Amino acid sequence: MIEVEDLSKRYGSHQAVRDLHFSVAKGEIVGFLGPNGAGKSTTLRMLTGYLNPTAGRIRIGGHDVSEDPNAVRKLIGYMPEGAPLYREMRVREHLAYRAAIKGVPRKSIASAIDRALERANIEDVRDRIIAQLSKGYRQRVALADALVADPPLLILDEPSSGLDPNQIREVRQLIKSFAGEKTVLLSTHILPEVEATCERVVIINSGRKVGSGRPKELRRGDQQVVKVVARGSREDLIDTLESHGEVTVSSKDDVHTAKVTSPSSEDALEAIASAVISRGLKLRELRVAVTSLEEVFAKLTTIEEVADETDAQEKGEEE
Amino acid sequence: MKFLAIAKREIYSFFLSPMAYAVLTVWLLTMGFVYFMFAQYFANNLSFGGSDTPLSMFFGQTILSFVPQLVFVPLMTMRLVAGENQSGTIESLMTAPVTSTDIILGKFIAALVFWLTLWIPTLMYVWITSRYGDIDYGTVLSSYIGVLGIGTFYMAWGLLASTIARRQIVAAVITFLFLGGFFLAGLGEYVFEDYRELFSYLSVWSHMADFSKGVVDSRYLAFYASMTALALFLAVRVLDTRKEIA
Repeated sequence: MIEVEDLSKRYGSHQAVRDLHFSVAKGEIVGFLGPNGAGKSTTLRMLTGYLNPTAGRIRIGGHDVSEDPNAVRKLIGYMPEGAPLYREMRVREHLAYRAAIKGVPRKSIASAIDRALERANIEDVRDRIIAQLSKGYRQRVALADALVADPPLLILDEPSSGLDPNQIREVRQLIKSFAGEKTVLLSTHILPEVEATCERVVIINSGRKVGSGRPKELRRGDQQVVKVVARGSREDLIDTLESHGEVTVSSKDDVHTAKVTSPSSEDALEAIASAVISRGLKLRELRVAVTSLEEVFAKLTTIEEVADETDAQEKGEEE
Repeated sequence: MKFLAIAKREIYSFFLSPMAYAVLTVWLLTMGFVYFMFAQYFANNLSFGGSDTPLSMFFGQTILSFVPQLVFVPLMTMRLVAGENQSGTIESLMTAPVTSTDIILGKFIAALVFWLTLWIPTLMYVWITSRYGDIDYGTVLSSYIGVLGIGTFYMAWGLLASTIARRQIVAAVITFLFLGGFFLAGLGEYVFEDYRELFSYLSVWSHMADFSKGVVDSRYLAFYASMTALALFLAVRVLDTRKEIA
């Protein structure tokens, strides 16, 4: 459904996204995970054609975004960050307008609104003025907006930001209910969100992809990188370490620095140490290295602290 | 036909805002006062000259009908695009399957409707005048043709300013500078004797002097049409350019 190749975006001297590549298959629910400022929103904006990439190619549903933006936009229900809405309008009026410009035929607009309201579970506020709704409701109105033309692909930028725990649970359930029916790409900086809703995750940091896979495989602690510095024969070292995991080696004269990606276990260091020594190599350094992925995880929000955030925001808005 | 949906929403939201009613009220007070002054003047000076009537004076023989326009047009056009930018809805608008042309055209139609709501109540002055004297309805019609022409021209440049600026207040200032600049250029008619013809062609004041006497000069209409087309074309380009930098 989505194919992204070598995607880059530069603002002046600031490189927001660099050489990003990933793909999302039809029917998948994929999380786009990264700390704040990693380039998530910029990437989603390029996918939806709101921003032009500096370099690279995006194909969605077989169409090139830069060549045929409107064919692509017809496939996408996009919820921008912060859920922008026409606040002076009533919920149903807003959705009727959005359905019209998304090309829903006039006759089907009423039923399209009903269906979107039902899916987002906000039928009770259909006649309310958006400005008078709480942040949680507004977020779900924006979700109904994304759903109103019944698009095959949903792109949701931070769909649960500003919601209280109950609303978060509802939104996640809603997203999970799309499994098999719609393709979903959602961005978040909250690790448990990805684990709760996504089948696959793409992790980015400082505009680069630093990992991808199933949420469980990416959990800190499932794998570790062991840094080994030893003197002796390069071939012997590689040969010794290969039985412990995937190896990359850089050498300077006869001193070699190897990184071994191995399943994490308490014994791994001991096993590597004795293997290296018994092969006759001089061991200089041996430790668990911090990976770029772990650096990212350290910056992610790993607990659900959004409820407090909601209160703070609403207080701010009332003032 | 998506531009019609965009125009409809714009008009709807405009009339939901208190701003619309404040603007309309102050406008009608101002224009009502201008009309009152001319009516009073003619009532006290029966022999006052030639082809002029209270209505022709009102429609543009004096600067009094233009100064309010230079102030009110920026207020009515400032939120067209800059307002969507401030609320963030520009992102959901530009990621819907619509073109920049749809957006600009829809906003422009809405702006024209705003312009008409300013002027339709002035028909009341025509009605009042008709009760106390004879009216040449031909000159009334040609005056309103002029008003509509200037409206398309001014609203298009206001829309362009609202597309360029990120904030409404900046849009209003830019529009005022655009329109004020054009108006001042028109006054060049009285400054540069050698180029009198050229400057009077640019001067909406001179145009309205003719329109209000019943002269519909197609050169003026061509001027409005080309200025409008230029501003709308630039507005579409500006909107497209946002994708590089937004």
